[in-house]
Order: sequence, then structure tokens, then C-alpha cells
Amino acid sequence: MAPGMGWVVTMRLRRREEPLLLAVAGGVLVGLVLVPLVSLGGQLARGEALVHAARTLSAPRTWSLLLASLGIAAAVTVAALAIGLPLGVLLGRTDVPLRRLALWLHAFPLSLPPFLIALGWFHLLGRGGLAGSALGARLLFSPTGVVLVLALALAPVVTSLVVVGLRAVDPSLEEAALLVAGPWRVSVRILLPLVRPAVALAALVVFSLALSELGVPMFLRVGVYPAMVFSRLGGVDYAPGEAFALALPLFVVAVGLLVFERRAAGRRAFGVLGLRSREVPDLRLGRWRPAATAFAAAAALLPLLPLAALAIRAGRGRGFSELPRWIGASAWNSLLDAFLAGTLILLLAVVIGHAAARRRRGGLGLDALAVLAFVTPATVLGVALVATWNRPSLQAVYGTSAIVVLALAARYGAVGLRAAAVAFSQGSDHYEEAAAIGGARFLRRLGRVLVPIHARGLGAAWLLGIVFCLRDLETAVLLYPAGEEPLTVRIFTLEANGPEGVVAALSCVQVAMTAAVLALGAALLLRGRR
Amino acid sequence: MIRRRMAFLVLALLAASTAVSCRSRAREVVVYLSIDQVFTEPILRDFERRSGVKVRAVFDTEETKSTGVLNRIVAEAANPQADVFWSGDPVRPLLLVKRGLVRPYASPNAAAVPPGFKAADGSWTGGAARARLLLVNTNRVKPDERPRSIRELASPRWRGQTAIANPLFGTTTMHVAALANAWGEDALKAFLVQLKANGCRIASSNGEVKRLVASGEVAFGLADTDDAAEALREGAPVEVVYPDQDGMGTLLMPTVVVPLRGPHPEEARRLVDHLLSTAAEQELVDAASHIPLRADVNPPLGGKRASELRAMPVDYSRVADTMERLQPWLREWAGL
Repeated sequence: MAPGMGWVVTMRLRRREEPLLLAVAGGVLVGLVLVPLVSLGGQLARGEALVHAARTLSAPRTWSLLLASLGIAAAVTVAALAIGLPLGVLLGRTDVPLRRLALWLHAFPLSLPPFLIALGWFHLLGRGGLAGSALGARLLFSPTGVVLVLALALAPVVTSLVVVGLRAVDPSLEEAALLVAGPWRVSVRILLPLVRPAVALAALVVFSLALSELGVPMFLRVGVYPAMVFSRLGGVDYAPGEAFALALPLFVVAVGLLVFERRAAGRRAFGVLGLRSREVPDLRLGRWRPAATAFAAAAALLPLLPLAALAIRAGRGRGFSELPRWIGASAWNSLLDAFLAGTLILLLAVVIGHAAARRRRGGLGLDALAVLAFVTPATVLGVALVATWNRPSLQAVYGTSAIVVLALAARYGAVGLRAAAVAFSQGSDHYEEAAAIGGARFLRRLGRVLVPIHARGLGAAWLLGIVFCLRDLETAVLLYPAGEEPLTVRIFTLEANGPEGVVAALSCVQVAMTAAVLALGAALLLRGRR
Repeated sequence: MIRRRMAFLVLALLAASTAVSCRSRAREVVVYLSIDQVFTEPILRDFERRSGVKVRAVFDTEETKSTGVLNRIVAEAANPQADVFWSGDPVRPLLLVKRGLVRPYASPNAAAVPPGFKAADGSWTGGAARARLLLVNTNRVKPDERPRSIRELASPRWRGQTAIANPLFGTTTMHVAALANAWGEDALKAFLVQLKANGCRIASSNGEVKRLVASGEVAFGLADTDDAAEALREGAPVEVVYPDQDGMGTLLMPTVVVPLRGPHPEEARRLVDHLLSTAAEQELVDAASHIPLRADVNPPLGGKRASELRAMPVDYSRVADTMERLQPWLREWAGL
């Protein structure tokens, strides 16, 4: 009797493998994001926290600062679109020379912590900088400076998504249009409208990152809303409940962004990255080619200037020779944390991303939860995780790097999840259906069909997750275990009175480490392609 | 091929997980610090060499100096992780004492510390001090125009040419609270309003003030002794002015060692003994140009002893209360 019952249960479980696996992955995501945030929200009930929070939320300066932050984020998004849209078309579809190199150079700073780029601009444009002047310094330390620094750092999001979005465009549409119109008109009237979902996703990502950015505005002395939230956690009167209340408007903004993205992209929300098009001849720019080449070269090289300034500062300040004394195990910690968190993100992304791409029940809700964690100020999420995980019974997690891994996975899960969903939505679901008809269960379909077919896309999702975790500062700084800080944290803490040459040299290590990870990842992905 | 790759991946993950979990936790002590890493890390390494006890440290960032790790200690109160807090100022540890997060220990090495700089029950003990000073750019300010008082930060003569760190964070918090006690809260608020109206730049940190003064973006700013020492070491065109030497005096802030309720009490006591030793204080004085409190520690080259300065009289406990009370107003003033 008992084996029979067991067999029935096993068979039922096998039939329900997909929803069960989704429930497990969803449970992990809910446990990492929603439970800590809700328990932090519970602190509002303590003492007079609710009264204080209500007073803060009703103060005019709260809303004026939020408006100012939304204005900065909107300006960054517009500027990033102004750079990224034309550049994406130029590098994705035209006969501009050295396009692949230009795209790599242009996109690379995106994988670095923004405060590090701001530090580089300071060494370049600050009054004592390599090209310093009073005007340059005034411009840098202003809202305009914040917008420019962030726009240049985040424009590659737009460029990259437009480039890959263009590959998904049906070549016959473009060929037909070219019979009656020139390249300029084809780009504006045909190509750009067709990559609207990619542009919407890019705008969402840029706006979210700009709105939640804390390091750059603080460094450039510009007041922003996340700094207000941070002041409830970093100031003398530690008030996590109030910080949570202040984060509520940001949650509303996050929901608004998601609605905007879903409306703008429609059912193609995840189908924006194309890897399937056949080769199409480049659009010929004719007499516009030199000007377009100059624009592409400037856009590719400009974001590299602050990195060059850091390298020069490190060289002049004998920072490289001092490195062994100061670097400790931080680079290894960074790599290990990012590798493990990226892998956890990938595991969640395979299941949830598949559900979102195939519009399974719960898939889109979990996607929204991941995006919510992405736009929540890192400080709020960090404190919520500390409150949830710092218990004697969970010391094996909280007292080790595991807490950093979990926190990074919670914060950057959306990145891998979206990339995996894109990969799944690009492929035909016929193979999967055929395997299902042939009797293959979900885990078998996943292992034998889905993962092998989408190996490149999932590899890219893994790489993207690792790179985002590698560039993180604001999540890890709140909860890294004593003595196991990642390199970004070490740079940030040593920046306080540390020799500028050493800080610049450590920044160069961060740049080199990220470049190496990207190069290795790209080599593996391209090898798979061949 | 795919199976081989998967096997490699699993092995790599296992190795990485093992590396995370198998880090030795025997004979270790956890210390949280709000004093600059660049000055304190060598002292901690020295302790490791001498004692064989592994030190695991959490350093504060410049922006949240003194409050970032302090709040982490508060957040971790239910399951304390830190054994020792080495604070850059004497006021914030009192907030931990008030919350019952301290495990008092009267170190024998504290005997040489003057009575005004330690608690009788060993809940906190002071060490080498920093002074709050005016860092002046010598290219922008002529010798006969050097400011003498912190009130000159708000002088119309220097409109748009001065800087202070955000008083919500770092040592500036304690400074404004001490000023509120010395002048009265209304006078302090009027001063800060005037400061803002005068175009004084509100920097993210004292380190940032140093950078602004050293690069000549402002004529002078309010910073700490260690910031000034760093600027001088870098060869910046700056000079130090100890403010209000002919008036209320300069604010001195001793560093403070606080034993906490962490999981390694024995190792914590050994670390406290080391941090309060003559050798450690001398090392901090030499590296960070701090002002020695003990008679058996020499001041840095060209530096001063506490006894050579007119120090602002301060009741740290009162300053702690004022600091908490001022926070909402300061947030409003800072626009946060």
C-alpha cells in the first residue's frame, strides 16, 4: 500500500514539477526581498515611529526633494537616450568603422561603481585635476554635474539594448524601406519604432539606477531623496522604520515604472534582445560617415577619460607600488561574493525568467518583485536584511560572506531574471512543446532542451549578474562580515584620508578585475557560439 | 560536453562555498572602527603579530563616519557581532552605554589616561585626540587675513569660499552639539543659518573639505587634525589654524575604546589592552598627527600636546544628549 501511495505522490509531484519549482524559486525571492521589507515596515509600529514617519512624509521638503530626485533621474534618462539612441543605431546598423571595439569601450564603464567614475572625473576636472578649472569644478559639483556623470555612465544601457534590439528586427522590413527611403529616414521611421520595447526597458533601467543612486550625488554634494532615506540610517538618530516609510514613495515610483514599461513594450516586454537575425548589409552613411564616426568615437572614448585620470593619479602618487600593503583579500572577496551571488541569481532566473517569458501564473508578479528590490534604496534593503538574518540561529549565514551573497542576489536578481526571460522569449517554444508531448518532465526539459538551447543567453545572464554584483558598493557596505570586505568597500573606506594614489590604484584594480571577468565571460560565450 | 561543464561548475561552486565556510574562526576578535582605516589598520596588524589573535575589522566610510558602524552595532544588538568599538569621538559611545550594549572593562593600561578622558567603570577609555581646526589654503588667503575663529566661516568677507562637512554625519555632528552647549541652541542655529546664507559649501565629509581646501576650490574649511596632516603630507598649500585660541578654545575629541558584548570577551580584553598601550597611542599620534593625552607619548613633529592648547570645555554626556535633540532640526537645515 505504502509504495503505491508513494508512487502516486511521486507521479503527481513530477507532473507538477514546473509550478513546484517556480514556487520554490519564488519562495526564495520572497524570503530575500519581501519578508525583510515587510518586517522592516513592522518597525513603524514601534514607539512613535509611525507618528514621526507621518510627520516626515507630510513635510513639504520631503516632496520637494523627491521631485528634485525625479527631475535628476528624468534628466539622466533623457541625456542617456540622447546619447544611446543614435549611437545604438550607428554601432548596430551602419558602416561606421570599428563598431564592435567602440561598443565595448563605450559599454565598459557601466560595469564599474558609479562613485569610482565620479572620483575619476574629480581627478580630471576638479580644481587640482589634470584638466582642472574653476568652471569645470563648479559644473562637476552641481546637479548638472550629477546628471552628466550619471548620463555618461548609464548611456551604455541604452546603446547596448538598442544594438541588440536592432538584431531582432525583421531584415525584410528594413530592405523594403530602403527601396524608397534613405538610411536616415529608415532609421528614424522604421528601425527606432521597431526597437521601442528595448528603448522602454533601457529607459526603465537608467531611470531606476539614476533614482536610487546615492554615492555620486553625495560625492558631488547634491541633495537627493535616497540621501534623505540614508540620513535615517546613517545619522545619529537611527530610525529604520522611518527610513522604510520614506522608501514607500520610491516603491510607488517603481510600480509606475513597471506599468510604463509593460505599456510601452506590450507583450514584447521580454523579447527585446535579438540573437536570431540573418546578416543584413550595413546602412551606408555616405557623406555623413566622417561626422558619424567622430560622434561614435567621442561617445566611446569620453567615458574612458575618468578611468585614464585614475590611472595617471595612481601612477603619479606611487599608488601601484603601495598596492600589496593595502589591497588585502578584498579583490578575492569581491570575486567570490560576485561569483556565488551571480550563480544564485542564475538559478532563480532560469526558473522565474522562464515563467515570466512564458507568462506562467506568478511569473510576472515575481518579476515585479525583483524589479521592486532593484529600485529600493540599497540601504533600506540592507537594514531589512540585517534585521531578518542577524539571529544566533542564523549565525552561519549572517556571520559569513553568505549574507553578502544573499543580499546581492536580492538586489540584483532582476538583472539576471530579465536577461534570462529575454533569452527564453527569443527562442521558439516548439522544441519545449515537442519534448513535453514526448513525455519529458519540466526538469528534464530544462536540463535537456531549454538550458542547452539558450546556453548563450543564460551565460550572458550569469555574466551580467556577476558584473552587477562586482560593481556593488551600497548593498555590501552595510552588512559585510568583519574582515571580509569586497574591494569596492575597501576603496570607499580607504578614501577617507587614504593616500589618493593608493585609492586611485585600488580603483584601477577594480577596473582591471572587471575587465578580466568580462573578457573571460565574453570569450566563453563566443566560444560557445562557434 | 555539457555534463562535463556542469560537473566543473558544481565543483567550482563547492570549492567556493568551502572557502567561504572554512575560514578559520579560532582565536579572533571583531572590532568596528570609525577611525580612518589608513591609520588604524597597521596598529591592528601589529596586535595580530604580537598576540596571534586574528582581527576582523569593519571600517566606517568617510560619509557616515562615526554613525555607520555605530548604527550597525545598534542594528545588531539582538545578536552582537562586535567585541570592540574603536570610536573617533567620545560622544557616540555614550549612546551605546545608554542602550546597554557595552561590557565594561577597566584596562590596566588606562591608568595613565587623565581622569576626564575615561569612565571610572571602564565602559569607555580615551586615547590620542583630534582637534577641530581650520584648514586654510595659503594660495588663497594672505598671512594677515588668516581666520582665527570658526565664526569667520559665516563672515561675509569669505562669502562662498568656505566649507564644512555635513553636520548630520561624522565629527561635525559632535562639534555643532558642543557649540550648542557653549553658545546656546538658538545662537548655534542662527550661526548655521547664517553659514548657509553665506554660501558655505556643505561637503559630504571632512575628507572632502580637505580636498576642497587643498585644491583651492574654497579658501578655508573646518576639518580634523588627521585631515590636515594628510593634506600636509601630500604637499598641498595649506596651513592649520587652531580656532578660538583667544576665546572659547578649540574642540578636542579623544578617540575612545569601548568594549562591547561580542562573542569573544577574552580576546576583546587583550585588544583593548593593546589599543590603550603607550605604543599604540604613539603609533596613532605619529601616523595621524593626533594630539597625545598621556604624558608618556610624544606629540608628532611640529604638533602639540593637549596641555599646550586652549581646549574648549566639554561635558561629553551633555553633548550626547544635545546631539540627539538637534538631529531633526539639523536634517531640516541640511534639506534632508
